[in-house]
Amino acid sequence: MTLELKKLADYKDIMERCIRCSMCKWIPQVQIKSWKYAQVCPSIDEYNFHAYSGGGRMIIALSLLTERIGYSEELLNIVYRCTACGACAVSCKYLNDLEPLEVIEALRKKIVEDGEGPLPAHKKYMKLTEEVHNPYGEEPSKRLDWLPSDIKVSKNSKLAYFVGCTTSYRRKEIAIATARIFNKAGVEFQLLGEDEFCCGSPILRAGGEAQVLDLIKRNIKAFKERGIETIVTSCAGCYSTLKADYPRYVKHDFKILHTSELLEQLLKEGKLKLKKEVPLTVTYHDPCHLGRCSEPYKEWHGEIMEPIPLVRFPVPPLPLRQGTYGCYYPPRNVLKAIPGLKLVEMERIKEYAYCCGAGGGVKAAFPDFALKTAGRRLEEAIDTGADTLVSCCPFCATNLQDAIKANNAPIKFYDLTELVLKAMED
Amino acid sequence: MLDDNIYEAFEQIVGPENISQAPAIIDTYAFQWAAEVLNVLDGKPPARYYIRPAAVILPGSVEEVQGVVKVCNRYKISFKAFSTGLGPWNCVSSTNTVQIDLRRMNKIIKIDAKNMFAVIEPYVSGAQLQSETMKFGLNCGMPGAGPQVSPLASATSMCGMGFTSASTGFAGRSVLGVEWVLPSGELLHVGSIGITNDPDWFSGDGPGPSLRGIMRGFVGAKSGMGIFTKVAVKLYPFPCKPEWKVTGESPNYEFEIPNYLKLYVINYKNWDELANALRRFEEEEIGFMCYHLSASATLAGFAKTREELVTQLASHGRLKRPLTVMIGAQTEREFEYKKQVVEALIQETGGKDYTKKLKIRSISYAEGLRCMYGFHGFLITGAFQSTHGCMDNIDNSVHMAQLNAPLKKKFIKKGVIIDDQGDGLWLASFERGHMAHCEMPTMYNVNITESVEGFVEYANACDEMDLEEHLGLPFFILGDKKHEWAGPHCMNYHIWLRKIKESFDPQNIADPGFYISSKKES
Ligand SMILES: Cc1cc2nc3c(=O)[nH]c(=O)nc-3n(C[C@H](O)[C@H](O)[C@H](O)COP(=O)(O)OP(=O)(O)OC[C@H]3O[C@@H](n4cnc5c(N)ncnc54)[C@H](O)[C@@H]3O)c2cc1C
Ligand code: SF4
Ligand code: SF4
Repeated sequence: MTLELKKLADYKDIMERCIRCSMCKWIPQVQIKSWKYAQVCPSIDEYNFHAYSGGGRMIIALSLLTERIGYSEELLNIVYRCTACGACAVSCKYLNDLEPLEVIEALRKKIVEDGEGPLPAHKKYMKLTEEVHNPYGEEPSKRLDWLPSDIKVSKNSKLAYFVGCTTSYRRKEIAIATARIFNKAGVEFQLLGEDEFCCGSPILRAGGEAQVLDLIKRNIKAFKERGIETIVTSCAGCYSTLKADYPRYVKHDFKILHTSELLEQLLKEGKLKLKKEVPLTVTYHDPCHLGRCSEPYKEWHGEIMEPIPLVRFPVPPLPLRQGTYGCYYPPRNVLKAIPGLKLVEMERIKEYAYCCGAGGGVKAAFPDFALKTAGRRLEEAIDTGADTLVSCCPFCATNLQDAIKANNAPIKFYDLTELVLKAMED
Repeated sequence: MLDDNIYEAFEQIVGPENISQAPAIIDTYAFQWAAEVLNVLDGKPPARYYIRPAAVILPGSVEEVQGVVKVCNRYKISFKAFSTGLGPWNCVSSTNTVQIDLRRMNKIIKIDAKNMFAVIEPYVSGAQLQSETMKFGLNCGMPGAGPQVSPLASATSMCGMGFTSASTGFAGRSVLGVEWVLPSGELLHVGSIGITNDPDWFSGDGPGPSLRGIMRGFVGAKSGMGIFTKVAVKLYPFPCKPEWKVTGESPNYEFEIPNYLKLYVINYKNWDELANALRRFEEEEIGFMCYHLSASATLAGFAKTREELVTQLASHGRLKRPLTVMIGAQTEREFEYKKQVVEALIQETGGKDYTKKLKIRSISYAEGLRCMYGFHGFLITGAFQSTHGCMDNIDNSVHMAQLNAPLKKKFIKKGVIIDDQGDGLWLASFERGHMAHCEMPTMYNVNITESVEGFVEYANACDEMDLEEHLGLPFFILGDKKHEWAGPHCMNYHIWLRKIKESFDPQNIADPGFYISSKKES
């Protein structure tokens, strides 16, 4: 909730106050519109034991902290079969002020600090990131392999396009579309190329705090050396990491934008013209890290007061991250500006959107679980009657497309930038 | 830990992924709302964990439930089932007990709109059911615990009152046909689903066997009489246009209040006025919702944060004995009529319409329709429990509140429970007329040992008062010790309760911890 980095023990009071009410298993109660799409936690949807919910993980964390339980394979599986999507925290904080997601993150950090984790799949990508600066183990020199020769890249623009590892190596179409849009709209941008290191998101989500600090320092130094003031990224994971997590470790004053925000701005300024019809019925999937998890942490200076005997609370109130100010409207506004395109909404959207299933190190360690979750999301997308699913994150894109293939699902997938490019083409 | 052969027997029924005895899993089932109260009652420190089950099992069908119960019988292991699992009465009472979490049984089997009932499995939540019945212009009852819990659990195994009981009755009255796995593992169908020719779920009492009283009694057997796997619950007309549109982002939601719905908070000066008003409002059958909560709790029901509540408490000292009424209508004409009746009743009963002073948010209307006000009870400290508890007439409830105030003030003065001026009372009408459910919520601080211990001492004193003052049996009288203490004062009901348990479950296979055991009276 606050900028201050906390240890698991700092959350003891919060963990003890869990009501076991199970609100964290559902979307906020006032948003429930059907039996089918009422639940929000991919983890408990798959594994069913209470331990697999946000509240359940808070209990586990308390049990571990108070030495009621010790480390075991089962414990590690429970802790890491969670996409760190933060939906539990939004639902809990609709009427409460507990922090299941922060506890999960603090628990993972403790596991790593204690040398008990993370899981082998995470250790593997952490090691690769250390060696070649990306979790895929790809050559740093190939980071710009996606870049078509006709794209104009500036050497001294104050704006950098932070492509991110997944887009650079796995979802090149997003990078290409983004760069082409920028060129057409006259947005000058730098690319860091080999100097772009992983933002640290996958490492941070697995609990690798010490390693991530090096990456953060390294990336911030690179931005500064190049005179960068604004960083635009087309990856939700990079976006929330740069915007929400970096300042907890190293204060910075770079402006962090997601491509959807920049595109919305360009539309408003008339610099981006979408003229070509794109006759699709699309539904939009909110990536967790562009939405609810992108809210910055805030400074808090205050104390715990007891204005009524036994009623203790922080004064001023602690700033809560409740998913209120995630990036929800820019992608939708851009979609709505595309001629001929019809946007239909799923039931679970914005701060209570259902996760695609890939995040939190799940895609690496539990690919089947990731695929099943994406399958659930696809079903919801198909139920809207849309022929196309759109999102704004290369990681969501990968997992959702894997699920489309695995299920032979009657829906296409595009990144937002791809559709914008279609609407721009003459 | 279960012996390997027993574990394997369970595993064969539900599959390896649906059973666990890993410490990390079972410890999460020992942690419960108000488990600290159970520990203090047992003479232990107020830990947030009660007893760990031997294993947790997740059956996916009635056949699997039967299979699990039969294995329990074979190896003399107790079972404790729950649906959504909120509350200390979900804890196992001995380590030789497996917890049966019914989460995988989550289907709405059918909604019979014409005959106004729905058949549901245990893990269907109130909000899920309501969102589907609304599509037919119908509504369901939900307990005060909120829309995230199981209407099946309330109907079969809990007290089951709710904020909308004025129009949806209490859950025990909503039960129609029931599918029941007895403590032996046999299957019993109760009510019209139990007849041979053309069984259906429309009635709980006949044609077909009527065992509603034995099945749930006053406050439910808390899994002490077996496991309910399907239940038909009554549905009621949705009070207004069944439209649901919430905009904005959490927690700043706005609700497009549907036609025709209106909320009133009416202030009365004293208990007599309040009791009379509640009776009159119910006689006129005007409210979709009609309840009294103490002034502080009424404010909590509409507050979004602790800080907001504290400010509100300071500025609404004139709110004394509020009555909250929500009316709904299908047509403009009906709405106008109801509004006029409310105005006339306010005048007649000497109340003051306090609604405008409270600046109630639109989302509070949605929370009212969805039975969410009770959950705001956690706002202030994160912990509360109720004492007393009766479903008697309005006057008895008010009498109880008046008697209780000095006792509560004594404990407030000791600094162990939160100061609500001794007032805390929830009084919700049901069945139109003079009947009301009453309980007295009390907030304590779960992080402070003296507060939890002080609350338990206060709760015990409330129980004593119920008997000494002939107020009725409190509904938190659970388990042998309490029943044997209370029974002799109440026509030895406990002997009969025990006979029921003995005839269905002589070996206590269904965990008797929050019901009564079949052992002979000690
Ligand atoms: C804020 C708040 C307000 C509350 N207000 C009310 C109220 O107005 N009225 C009221 O009655 N209660 C009230 N309670 C208590 C509440 O009813 C229970 O905590 C809640 O309804 C039970 O939750 P559940 O539906 O998850 O049932 P569970 O917690 O799953 O079960 C409740 C009990 O029934 C047993 N049980 C559940 N399912 C089955 C089954 N299928 N077969 C056999 N046994 C079963 C369980 O063992 C347990 O003992 C309130 C609680 C809170 C927190
Ligand atoms: S984490 Fe929050 S929502 Fe989940 S059970 Fe605990 S209190 Fe309830
Ligand atoms: S972060 Fe997401 S997957 Fe993990 S417990 Fe919370 S809701 Fe479930």
